[in-house]
Amino acid sequence: MLQLIADGLIVGSVISLGAIGVTMTYSILRFANFAHGELLTWGAYLALTVLGFFVALGGAGPMQPIGPFSFGWPLLAALAAAAVMTALIALLVDWLLFERLRGNGTAIVLVIASFGAALAMRNLLQFIYGTLPDYYSREIQIAIRLVPREVMGGMRITPDQLFVLGLTAVTVVLLHLFLTYTTLGKAMRATAHNPALARLTGIDVRAVIRAAWIIGAVLAAIAGVFSGLTVQIRPGLGFDLLLPLFAAAILGGIGSVYGAVAGGLIVGLAESLSVPLFGAEYRAATAFLVLIAILLVRPTGLFGERN
Amino acid sequence: MIALCCTDIVAGYEPGLPIVRGASISVRQAEIFAILGPNGAGKSTLVKAIAGLVPILSGTVMLGHEDITAVPAHRMIGRGLAFVPQTENIFANLTVADNIDLAASIMKVDKRRRLPEIYDLFPDLARQKSLVAGRLSGGQRQMLACARALVTSPHVLMLDEPSAGLSPRLVGVVFDNLRQVRATGVTIVLVEQNVKAALALADRATVLVEGKDRITGPSGDLASDAEIAALYFGHASAGKAA
Repeated sequence: MLQLIADGLIVGSVISLGAIGVTMTYSILRFANFAHGELLTWGAYLALTVLGFFVALGGAGPMQPIGPFSFGWPLLAALAAAAVMTALIALLVDWLLFERLRGNGTAIVLVIASFGAALAMRNLLQFIYGTLPDYYSREIQIAIRLVPREVMGGMRITPDQLFVLGLTAVTVVLLHLFLTYTTLGKAMRATAHNPALARLTGIDVRAVIRAAWIIGAVLAAIAGVFSGLTVQIRPGLGFDLLLPLFAAAILGGIGSVYGAVAGGLIVGLAESLSVPLFGAEYRAATAFLVLIAILLVRPTGLFGERN
Repeated sequence: MIALCCTDIVAGYEPGLPIVRGASISVRQAEIFAILGPNGAGKSTLVKAIAGLVPILSGTVMLGHEDITAVPAHRMIGRGLAFVPQTENIFANLTVADNIDLAASIMKVDKRRRLPEIYDLFPDLARQKSLVAGRLSGGQRQMLACARALVTSPHVLMLDEPSAGLSPRLVGVVFDNLRQVRATGVTIVLVEQNVKAALALADRATVLVEGKDRITGPSGDLASDAEIAALYFGHASAGKAA
């Protein structure tokens, strides 16, 4: 039981980071961006590329793992570089596609355009990287026993998984501080609530939109790398997570960053805890049953505002 | 001195479908100016167009000596023009303090000097700084909306129906606040459906009919104008119009 909870939290933390971007795009740009999953994939692959450069430049020396982890400093540097590059991709897609449709198109036009963007991004990625899965490290990690087997079946977790949980928590806390205490963070919350009033308050809504893309893409890249680190890197990484991302965002209350975090953890836990009950093939369906059950009780989601 | 001068404004949401059709107003510095008119006359569209929220198809808007016709909405407050919409005029998801602080931060206002002045003007808000704005009453929301607009020390404050949805007592409170704001040298332009209260508050007013200014003059004169009575009530009983 404890092991399932730990597994659920690890999956849930990746979903949470991705769902924040989905909910942020929805609240500020007012459309469901189905291309968001591809940002996770691009983030994961761009980190792999940067990591490859480090290997080519420095040989095996700098690749020495840090402490108990399977990765060294180069992966952290690759993560940072991939986050920047993924943000640039998001801004490019917005400039090429969404910005041109925002002025004239309705939300449904933007949603359909995001499907197109997702297909284009995934096919371009497959064209560049191929379709075979890959890994950041071939190191085999031994899971650490945190709880003995006698206590609810016990719990084992790898150092990389602990790293993912820890960095997710730090990222969410930093995002909370940013949204609560900085002028840009407050401007983003204000714009999400009322874009016209935000403009009257002197907020440059276009700058806020750029900030939303950058933050969403950076978190997507982190989620993509975490998914690659704990599972594997593959072209369908983001697409496979897309429905859980939306489930998490809706369950938490679309538009609520904190709801996306809670929703992600709940979806992750629901998926994990359902495995011994229904089998692994139905884990995604179970997450949606939880989503439906919560929406029946609270249609606006856990943290959603009633309009 | 003229604080705000709009000449032959044609404005609307859709090209070829103007709602404001050649309206002109001229507002003197530190006066309270009311824009009146029957439903659908284009009053709200006119002030939204001046604020940069509705496209101006032709005409000019001068703020003092500066042409602000093509200035985007988010730069208006920096030029000295603030606008309080009729509804959804506060950020309900932010605290009272954040609502006021946000505009001050963006416009790089000296907050140590300006915030105490704002809270002196609206002492009710000073007691509820940490409250989420969505929990304020209707009158308090109007005060917060005014405070948010005033924190950047605008030359001209425009309000769209500040009395809408308020009880008569709260209308009195909000209008008293507006008199205090004017006393600080701010020019006030307000759109109002409450003709009696607006004419009692304003120095001058204009009546907009079908998107064009029909009558402009001192409030006292308009209060006894037979044409206004006819416009609002369908007969010429001027006394009842007020």
